Amino acid sequence: MAQHPSAFETIVHLLWTFSQLSVLGFGGGKGIIPQMHTEAVGRYHWVTSQQFTQFYTIGKLMPGPTTIFAALIGYAATPARPYLGAAVATIAMFVPSSAIMVGFDALWDRFQASPWRAIIGRGLTPAIVGLVWSSVVTIGRGAPKGVFAYAIAAVVALLMLRSKIGTPLLILLAGAVGVAALR
Amino acid sequence: MSVKSEPSLLDIALTFAAISSTAFGGGQKASMRQQVLSRGWMDQERFMDGLEIAQVLPGPNILNLAVYCGQRVRGIPGAVAAFLGASVPPFVIVLIAGALYFKFAANPYVHGALRGCAAGALGLTAGNALELTWDERTQWIRIVLVAVTALAVSLLKMPLLLVLVMFGGAGIANEYLRSRKKADGAAS
Repeated sequence: MAQHPSAFETIVHLLWTFSQLSVLGFGGGKGIIPQMHTEAVGRYHWVTSQQFTQFYTIGKLMPGPTTIFAALIGYAATPARPYLGAAVATIAMFVPSSAIMVGFDALWDRFQASPWRAIIGRGLTPAIVGLVWSSVVTIGRGAPKGVFAYAIAAVVALLMLRSKIGTPLLILLAGAVGVAALR
Repeated sequence: MSVKSEPSLLDIALTFAAISSTAFGGGQKASMRQQVLSRGWMDQERFMDGLEIAQVLPGPNILNLAVYCGQRVRGIPGAVAAFLGASVPPFVIVLIAGALYFKFAANPYVHGALRGCAAGALGLTAGNALELTWDERTQWIRIVLVAVTALAVSLLKMPLLLVLVMFGGAGIANEYLRSRKKADGAAS
């Protein structure tokens, strides 16, 4: 990078990047993680891979949509005005998709009985699931390496599939093990 | 008594604020359903319609659903109130968490906890991927689409828009052809 972008440029980049992700956030936003990493880590260097994974983790740990962690990327991207960056990233992440939801009301009656609703919903699913696998790779890049860390991940995956323990508690349990073993 | 007195915008915002600041993951949909139905804002059928649309359109399901409910009850102002209620508390909470993160991430104990949590989040994502893939097993072509998408994104760094157009499009075409076949089968 020849020169650092100004705070204003960064705000514009945040706005543009997260609005695109918002509009493309099919499947509840599950599929946008790889692209978000490409932009935030690879292209703009707002955060490191490790920070990206930790912000994602915080997003999963806190109530509300996981993609709220966009706020933390905005926060880190604008050191001079962290709260402005956080607000801009969040607005860009949530307003466009919500506006589409509102705008859809006009089409509601025509679409309500349409078979296309199920066709589009079911048709997009395999691509979204593929993107979730890619998210595993993306998140793995910034997650701790080593047999012990992978063992924690495997046990959490197993507990998620086979027990009724909730998401936040599983992450906190993994964190407790981490204090003892991954310092 | 099908409609109770119209709720105020503040009512709407606070209802969704209470849900968004306390409920996690799938629990949010359940508590939203319970709140909306018990307040008589809409019936079960309307709510389930909204849930389906919320899942098809882009954006977090729970936020879309909140916006839908707000709009059904009080039009666009209601949608805005629901949006603010569903997004402002998580924003504030995640910022507090973020401020603590930047303050304490270097502490060795916090560092270890964060690494453990990150390993846990990786496990959750992998578990979710497995679970979702298992649901696709009924059609081999859907499994192929899952695999091809994952490879194209992770190895070739294919951009999201192209992924949705190509592999999302292929999935939609597949569903369309199946629905045609089913319709033909039913007609003959």
